[in-house]
Amino acid sequence: MCLVEVEKAPKLAPACATSVMEGNVVHVHSPKARDARQGVLEMLLINHPLDCPICDQAGECELQDYTFQEGRADSRYQEPKRFNPVEDFGGDVLYVANRCILCTRCVRYMDTVADEAVLCVSERGDRAVISKFEGEDLTHAWAGNVVDLCPVGALLSKDFLNKARAWELDRAASVCPNCTQGCNSVLEVRDNTVVRMKPRSNDAVNQFYLCDPGRLDYRWLNRADRAEQPMVRSHGALAPVDWEAAIAQAASLLKGNAVHVLASPMLSNEALFLLGQLVKAQGGSGAFTVMTGPEAPLSGVPDLALRAERAANVRGAELLGFAKGGNPLAGLTTDKVLIVADHDVSHLDATALKAKAVIVIGTTLPTALSHADVVLPIANMAEEEGTFTNLRGRVQRYFQAKAAPGLARPAWFVLSDLVAAAGGAPARYAPGEVFGALAASHAHFAGMNWEGLGLSGALPAGGAA
Amino acid sequence: MAITVKVLERPIEEASYLRATLGGMARTFKHMVNPHKVTVQYPEMRDPVSPRWRGTHRMLTTETGAAKCVACGLCPTVCPANCIKLVPGEDAKGNRYPLVFEIDEFRCIFCGYCQEVCPEEAIHLGRHYENAEYSRAGFVYDLERLTAQTHPVSQLWDPTDPAGE
Repeated sequence: MCLVEVEKAPKLAPACATSVMEGNVVHVHSPKARDARQGVLEMLLINHPLDCPICDQAGECELQDYTFQEGRADSRYQEPKRFNPVEDFGGDVLYVANRCILCTRCVRYMDTVADEAVLCVSERGDRAVISKFEGEDLTHAWAGNVVDLCPVGALLSKDFLNKARAWELDRAASVCPNCTQGCNSVLEVRDNTVVRMKPRSNDAVNQFYLCDPGRLDYRWLNRADRAEQPMVRSHGALAPVDWEAAIAQAASLLKGNAVHVLASPMLSNEALFLLGQLVKAQGGSGAFTVMTGPEAPLSGVPDLALRAERAANVRGAELLGFAKGGNPLAGLTTDKVLIVADHDVSHLDATALKAKAVIVIGTTLPTALSHADVVLPIANMAEEEGTFTNLRGRVQRYFQAKAAPGLARPAWFVLSDLVAAAGGAPARYAPGEVFGALAASHAHFAGMNWEGLGLSGALPAGGAA
Repeated sequence: MAITVKVLERPIEEASYLRATLGGMARTFKHMVNPHKVTVQYPEMRDPVSPRWRGTHRMLTTETGAAKCVACGLCPTVCPANCIKLVPGEDAKGNRYPLVFEIDEFRCIFCGYCQEVCPEEAIHLGRHYENAEYSRAGFVYDLERLTAQTHPVSQLWDPTDPAGE
């Protein structure tokens, strides 16, 4: 598909596998090169069905693009096309053999990158198909990448099947929030609903890959039972109020009291920094726990794995002064104000969540916290801009992909208002401003700036920690 | 100085309206004996519409009665008025089909792009113009209504056959 004409060369050369030499003159669009590519394309299309309307790959299909760019307008092939049934490859992968052009990218990926040879080409000639070795299944934690690698619609994600068309999706550069690795990702949104997460290339972190547990765990970003209004307890019950009143009430509860903060390791560096400032100003403590699971490395890429700690900003939370593990309620006494900043309380003892006052800054209001005095609804990571710090200390930006529900505001916005109302630094109105203050005050972030982080992030000045 | 108005003397054959009146009466009497009818006694009588008439939609069905639509999403993409709502799904046999297919006939500008773009020849505009409804909601045609309509479908303009012959 990449044949080009090179002057003084005896025949056309495949551009992808030919090294450039001194004095080369290459003609990409010469009639000879075009004819050759058109011929190759015609051969590829001999057995490829004309089912783009029902194919999930349509719109992001390399074969479709090439055919549109320089393929024949019609087919000269009269004979019936090859037919093979659809096969379930296990994991998240569905194999539609009819669409396969046998490029063997999936076979080579499983063989050399995942280091678990599951796929092979079986049969020969025009009967050749991709199949699994006897007794094997595509259950490797990183097997889902074959769907992205497939240039046509032969390998499809079962999760995404028939859900949306590629051209309807709005895309935002993001960072996978599901473990401390911090793989760069793209959130694809349709009708304000995240429908797919795909890898985004970053040579320093995840190259081109994203693990299955990571890419499939996006549904919590769409959950419907969200906290949508700021609420304040009055006459024994929580009543909706406007933001100014809720912030003022929270600030008055904080006045003169020490705090204990339960901070979610899913919060951005900016939010954690402001929470840390609050702890510093009021006196008190901050802690968090993190969900864990089995670690699953991708052997073909150095230092890439689905990490055991399943939250994006564990490292950031530690750097910004929050204690990890143990009993997160250890520092809590009944003369302190408890601030629960989106931290998961489902595994904590609900009776221990007693304090002088309880302020919930969260995406949801769990029943264990229904005794809260103030509820400040915040956006989740798909609905705000921010940065995460991955386990190697790399600070990476993620961008807003969808709108927040109701009156919910980004965590950094709410917290900067709260810090200001409690007598701290004046409110800041952009995540970049908060990050600037963070960079000015913390050694790990020193020298970094919001724009400079770009799409691939930055390591601290001293190198990887 | 007084203003003087010049009054032109016109010849009698121009100034008289007798000739024009007679001409008009002649036409009237001609129509009495040899009528050229324009008025159609609607709704008992109807004028035929052009084969390229673009009216409210129809969804064609397969032999089994199911809609031909495979939910490819091209018609909502091409629709300039954004009046087609489509949610794709999968049936028991693993075939792609529309869970929801709605056309808002109020928003529709009857351009015919949806019919032109449809790879399955499923959605068509109809040669039909009687669209009155008792409620606004009635103008959002769902899949059931689109498949149940029986009026003839539009034949789109074909550049190789501009006269439609």
